[in-house]
Amino acid sequence: MGVKFDLIKLICAFICVLNSVFATNELIAKDLIVKNIDRSIDVSTQLVKVTCTIQIENTGKSPVSKFLFSIEPNLKQRLSYISAQSGDSSKSPLAVQKATVQSRPDDAFWKVDLREPLGSGSSATIEIDYVLTNALSPYPTHITQKEKQLVKFIGSYYAYLPYLCAKQTTTVSMGTKNVESYSKLNPVVKSDTSVVYGPYTKVAAFSVEPMTVHYENNNPFLKISRIERTIEVSHWGNIAIEETIDLEHTGAVLKGPFSRYDFQREMQSGLSSVKSFKTVLPASATDAYYRDEIGNISTSHMRIMADSVELDLRPRFPLFGGWKTHYVLGYNVPSYEYLFNSGDNYKLKIRVLDHIFDDMVVDELITKVILPEGAENINLVTPYSMTRHPDTRHSTYLDTKGRPVITVSKRNLVENHIQALELDYVYPRILMLQEPVLVALALYALFLLVIVYVRMDFSISKDEAGESRLRVSGILDKLLVLLDKRAILYMNFDEHFAKVKTSKDVNSFNAAAKTFNQEYKNITTSIADMISKLKPDSPEASERVAEIQKLDKVLKEIYNHKQALYVDKLLPGKISRSAFVDAETGLNKKKQDAVEKINAITRALH
Amino acid sequence: MKKSSSSFSGGWKSLIVFTVLLLAWLCGFASRLFAVIRFESIIHEFDPWFNYRATAYMVEHGFYNFLNWFDERAWYPLGRIVGGTVYPGLMITSGSIHYVLHLLNIPIHIRDICVFLAPIFSGLTAISTYLLTKELWNTGAGLFAACFIAIVPGYISRSVAGSYDNEGIAIFALQFTYYLWVKSVKTGSVFWASLTALSYFYMVSAWGGYVFIINLIPLHVCTLLLMGRYSNRLFTSYTVFCILGLLFSMQIPFVGFQPIRTSEHMAALGAFILILVIGGLKHMQSILSKAEFKYFFIVTSLVAAGTVFFGVVVLTYAGVIAPWSGRFYSLWDTGYAKIHIPIIASVSEHQPTTWFSFFFDLHILVTTFPVGLWYCIKNVNDERVFVVLYALSAVYFAGVMVRLMLTLTPVVCILSGIAFSRLLEIFLKDEETPSNGDSDSEQETSPSRTLYDKAGKLRKMKHEQIKETEGLGANVRSFIIVGVLAMLLMFAVHCTWVTSNAYSSPSIVLSTYSQDGSRQILDDFREAYYWLSQNTDSDARVMSWWDYGYQIAGMANRTTLVDNNTWNNSHIALVGKAMSSTEPKAYEIMKSLDVDYVLVIFGGVIGYSGDDINKFLWMVRIAEGEHPKDIRESDYFTDKGEFRVDAEGSPVLLNCLMYKLSYYRFGELQLDFRSPAGYDRTRNVVIGNKDFDLTYLEEAYTTEHWLVRVYRVKKEDEFNRPRIPVSKRKIRPSDVFISKKTSRRKKGLIKNRPVVVKGKRPVKS
Repeated sequence: MGVKFDLIKLICAFICVLNSVFATNELIAKDLIVKNIDRSIDVSTQLVKVTCTIQIENTGKSPVSKFLFSIEPNLKQRLSYISAQSGDSSKSPLAVQKATVQSRPDDAFWKVDLREPLGSGSSATIEIDYVLTNALSPYPTHITQKEKQLVKFIGSYYAYLPYLCAKQTTTVSMGTKNVESYSKLNPVVKSDTSVVYGPYTKVAAFSVEPMTVHYENNNPFLKISRIERTIEVSHWGNIAIEETIDLEHTGAVLKGPFSRYDFQREMQSGLSSVKSFKTVLPASATDAYYRDEIGNISTSHMRIMADSVELDLRPRFPLFGGWKTHYVLGYNVPSYEYLFNSGDNYKLKIRVLDHIFDDMVVDELITKVILPEGAENINLVTPYSMTRHPDTRHSTYLDTKGRPVITVSKRNLVENHIQALELDYVYPRILMLQEPVLVALALYALFLLVIVYVRMDFSISKDEAGESRLRVSGILDKLLVLLDKRAILYMNFDEHFAKVKTSKDVNSFNAAAKTFNQEYKNITTSIADMISKLKPDSPEASERVAEIQKLDKVLKEIYNHKQALYVDKLLPGKISRSAFVDAETGLNKKKQDAVEKINAITRALH
Repeated sequence: MKKSSSSFSGGWKSLIVFTVLLLAWLCGFASRLFAVIRFESIIHEFDPWFNYRATAYMVEHGFYNFLNWFDERAWYPLGRIVGGTVYPGLMITSGSIHYVLHLLNIPIHIRDICVFLAPIFSGLTAISTYLLTKELWNTGAGLFAACFIAIVPGYISRSVAGSYDNEGIAIFALQFTYYLWVKSVKTGSVFWASLTALSYFYMVSAWGGYVFIINLIPLHVCTLLLMGRYSNRLFTSYTVFCILGLLFSMQIPFVGFQPIRTSEHMAALGAFILILVIGGLKHMQSILSKAEFKYFFIVTSLVAAGTVFFGVVVLTYAGVIAPWSGRFYSLWDTGYAKIHIPIIASVSEHQPTTWFSFFFDLHILVTTFPVGLWYCIKNVNDERVFVVLYALSAVYFAGVMVRLMLTLTPVVCILSGIAFSRLLEIFLKDEETPSNGDSDSEQETSPSRTLYDKAGKLRKMKHEQIKETEGLGANVRSFIIVGVLAMLLMFAVHCTWVTSNAYSSPSIVLSTYSQDGSRQILDDFREAYYWLSQNTDSDARVMSWWDYGYQIAGMANRTTLVDNNTWNNSHIALVGKAMSSTEPKAYEIMKSLDVDYVLVIFGGVIGYSGDDINKFLWMVRIAEGEHPKDIRESDYFTDKGEFRVDAEGSPVLLNCLMYKLSYYRFGELQLDFRSPAGYDRTRNVVIGNKDFDLTYLEEAYTTEHWLVRVYRVKKEDEFNRPRIPVSKRKIRPSDVFISKKTSRRKKGLIKNRPVVVKGKRPVKS
C-alpha cells in the first residue's frame, strides 16, 4: 500500500511539474495599449472584490488574440478567484488561464483569450473580476471588547498592467463613513463611503504606488481554516452530506477580559464579534444536524424557503477576534437531483463546496465522495484545478470490500468557487441486491443454528433416568387426557339420565347408552394399553392407574345399576317415586365415593 | 391456551416466557430513552463523563495502553494512574461491543454504545432476575420479577440512556452471580460454582459493590451451617467459588491484594475455613465413635476458633490486614462520615434514605415485598435462606445510604414477584369456568395450570352438590384480581412518571418551559466547556470544585486540579481553601498550583440551585479539615449562625474568592423591572457586596445565562504590583565583580570606549 501510495504521489508531482513547464509562456504584445481602466475595489467585507473594466486598443499591425493581466506584487499571493467577461452587452465569459512571461519571472500573469482577435486599430472592452482573501489586516491588531475593529488595506493607485495605460480611475468603497485615514495622490475625491482616485493619465506599464485606506470594518472576519465535505452516495435514493468545519475569527484579537454583562447590556460592545451566521442549503435538504464532539448545538434554527433551506447557526459562544470553534453540519438530499444514469453508467453532479456564510473564505477544502460498493471506472471532472488524492476505501453498514472514496482538495477558496464537480462511474445494478440478501442469509443462518441447537443433544453422558422420566410423563399426559375423556363421557351420560327422567324417551336413551358403552370400552382398552406401556418405566405409576381402572370398574357397575334402574324400573313405571329416589340416592352416594377416590389418585398422578 | 392438548404445553410455556421476557426487555429499554428523545444521545452527569473518556481512550489506544494510562490531565500536578484506579469492566464491555461491531463494519460511534449500554443491560438484568426467581420459586414469579425490575424506578435511576456508569452493568452481574450461586447450591456441581466465580469476576471488574457479594455469600453459608443445613452440595459449591473467586478478583489491578488484606473480604475466608472444619468434622464423625468425637470436636473447635480470631486480630494490628475503610464505617454508623470524612458526607447520594424515597423508587413493591419474604421464610429451603438474607441486608444498607437503594431494588422485585405470583395463584386457582380467566394474569400462573383445569372438569361430576362453601366466591375473587391488576397498572404508571420526571435529565443540559409552553434549552455548561476546549492553551490548568472535574476533562479536554475521583483529600482541601480565602491569599495558592483558569458555577441569574455558592459550606468544611488554622467554618456564618449572602452576611464570606467570582459584576445586573439590581434568584436575596473589582483575576468567559463563569488568573506582570517599601526601592549595584577576561584574551576592556575616528593627514600640495 505504502509503495503504491508513494508511486501515485510521484506521478502527481510529475504531472504538476509538466503542467508548470507547459503553462503558456507568453510575450507581452508591445502594440496593445489600455485606453481606459476603471477599477472598483470593494473592501466593505472581509474580502477584497475588484472589478476592472478595461478598454483596450491594438495600435500595431498584427491582430492580437490575447490580453495579459497582472496583479500587484504584494497582493498576487492573495488572489483566490479570477474571471473575465466581455464588456459588451452580451457579457459572455472569456477563458482565463495562468500564464508566465519569461522577461518578468516574478510577476503573476493571467491570459485572457479574446473572443475574436483584435484587429489593427480596433478596440474592445473586457471586464475582469477577481477576489482577494486575507488582504485586509486589522490595525490595531488587538482591541478590547468595547473598541471597534479598524482594518487597513494596502493596494496600489495604479492597475498593475503590462501595457501602457492612457487613463485610469480607481474607486475604493468601504461601506462605512468611519474612515480613519486614506492616502492621497491627487486627484482624490472622498464621498460618503468611498474614495475615488484618479483619473491618472499616461501610466507606464508595471507602475506601483502604494495606496492605503484605514477604516472601520465590523463585518465578520470569519475564516474557515479547514472544511472537510463528505458526500456519501446511496443508490437507494439518498445522498448524505456532512461538513466538518474549523472556524476562526481572523479580525482584531480580543484583548483583556470578556464581560458578559457589557455584551448583554451595551449595543456597542463586541461589534466585531460573530454571534450567528446563516448557511444556505439546497432546497431539498432534510434531516439537518448541527453538532460537535460534545453533542448537539442547541442554538440553531431552520427555515425552509421556496428555493433553499436557511440554517441560522449560532456557535456555542460568540466568536471574538482570535477565537475558534469547530462543528459538524450534515443533511440529506434526494439523489434524483444529483445522480443521473443510463443503464449501469452513472453521473454524479454535485457541488464541490457549498455555501457556509456570505463572503466566506475557505483556507483548505477537502471534498470526499463515497460511492456505493462496487462502483468502477471512476472518472472525475472538477470545475477548476484541484489536487486529487489517492482513492481509499470506506467500510460501513453491510459492506464487504468497502466503498471507493474519491478525495480532492484545494486551498484558498471563496464563494465563487461554489461549482459542481462531475463524476462518472459504472455500477452494476444487480449489486443493489447484495445487502438485502446478506441480511436474509444472516438471519437464515441464525434460525438454522437455533433449530439445530434445540434439536441436538450436546450432553456428554446419557441421562437414563431423565429419559425414562420424560417417557413416563409423556404417557401420563396421554393417560390424563384419556381419563379426562372418560370423565366427560360419564358427565354426558349423566345428562341423558336427567333428560330421560322428564322425556321418558326410552329409545333415544337406549341408543345413548349404547354409544356410551361402546366409547367407554374403547377408552378403557386404550387405558389398559397405556398401563402395559407404563409398566417397564414406572411400575409405581402403572399400579396407580391400574387402581383407577379397578375403581372405574366399580363406577361403571354403579352406572350399569343406574341404567338398569331407569330402563327396567322407572320408565316402565314399576317403581314408586319414593323407592326410586331412595335407590337413586344410594347409587349416587356410591358413585360419589368412587369418583372421589378416582379424583384423589388422578390428582396424585400430576 | 387451556384448550391446547397437553403435548404442546411445553412449547406454549416457553413461547410465553420468551415473549414476556422480550417485552420486558423492550419496555425497559424504551422507558429509559426519555432523555435521548427529549434531549439527545449524550453522556449524563459527572462520573459517566470519566467512564466515557476512559472508554474512548481505550478504544483509541488499545487495552494494554489503557491499563498503563497515566492521566496527567487530572489532579495536577500529581496526575492519576487511571489503569490501576478504575474498575475496567464497564470500559471493556463497551469496548468489546465496539470492537465486534466494527469487525462487522458497523461504524457506530463509541459514544452511542456508551449511551445505550445501560438500557441494553437492563434487559439482561431482567432475564437474570427471571432466572434467579425461577430458581427460588417458580416461572410465574420469575416473570413477575423480570417485569418489575425492567421498569422499577429504583433501578432506572442508575440505568437511563446516557447514564454510563458502573452500576448499569453491575446490577446485571450481581443478579447473574446470585442466580449462578443459587443454582450451584442447588446442584452442588463444580461447573455451576465455577460459573459463579466467573460471573463474580465480571462483577469485581465492574463495580466496587462486589464486596456485597463476597460478604453475602459467606453469610448465606454460615447461616445454613447454623441452621444445620450443611450438605456436600454446599461444601462443593462454596469451596470452589471461594477459591476461584478470590483468585479471579485479584486479577483486577485496582483490587490487587485487597481480597487477602482487607477486613471487608475476611468474612469469605472465615466462612471458607469454617466450612472446611465442619466438613472435616462430619468426616471424622463417620469414622470415630461418639465419645471420641465429642472430645475431638470440643478441642478442635476451640483451637480453630482461637487461632482464627487471634490470627486476624494480630494481622490487623500488624498492618497486614487493613482495617475497614471509612466508607464502610459509615454504613454502620450513619453519623460517622459527617464527623470524620466530610468529603463522603458532602455527596448527596451518601445521605440516609428517607421514607419518601422508598415509596418513590419502589411504589407498590415496597408493601408487597414483605409478603414475599414471609412466603420464603414459611417455605424455607437452602436457596430461600439466601434470598431472605439478601433482602434483610439490602434493606438495612438502603436505609443507610440513598445510593444503596440500588442493591435493594432487585431483591424487592424478586420477593414482590413471589408475592404477586402466590396471590394470583390463590385467587385464580378455583376458577369455575376456564374461559373467563384473565388472560393477563394467566401467563403468570401458568405453572399451576395443570393443577386446576383437569381436576376441575372431573369435579363437575359432582354437579349435584356444587357451590359448596369452599374458598371464596367468584365475585370476591374477581374483585381482588381486578384490584391487584389495578395496583399493577398504577405501578406501571408511577414508574413511567418517575422515570420521565425525575431520572431522565442529562443534568448538563437544562430545559425550562416558558409561559407559552415553549421549551427553552439552557446549554451553558457545554458552552463554557467548549469555549475552554477551543480557546485556551491545550495545557491550560483549570481550577474548579471537584464536582466538575470529570466534565472539564471530558468535554473541555483541559487539565484539572481535582475531580470526582476524590482520592486525595488534602488536594481538594487546598482548592477549597483557595475558594474560601480572600483574593490575595487565593492567588498565592493558585500560583503555587499553576492555575490558569478558575471555573465557578453560578445559578443566581436563572435560579439554578445546585451552584457553587450552595455547595460552598462543604468547601469550607473540607478546607477546615486540613487547614484548621486558616479556615474556620464559623467565620462564614453570621452571628446568628446563618449562611447568607446578603448585606447581613459575614464579611469573611462576602470577600472570599468564591463569592467574588460568582458575583463579579452581578451587582450591576438588573434581571427584571420588579427586582433590584443584584438580586440573586437562587437564594432570593439582594447580594451584600456589590461593588468590587478583581485584581488578580479577570473575567475570561461567562455563559449566556451566567451559569458558568470562567476567570483567567493574571500573570504576575499583569496586575498592579504590590507596593514596595521605600527602603527596598533602591537598586543596589551588585558588588560581585565578574571579569570578562578569559585565559586567551588578557587585554583589558573599556566600557563605552570612545570610538576614535582616524583622520587623514592632509596631503601636501
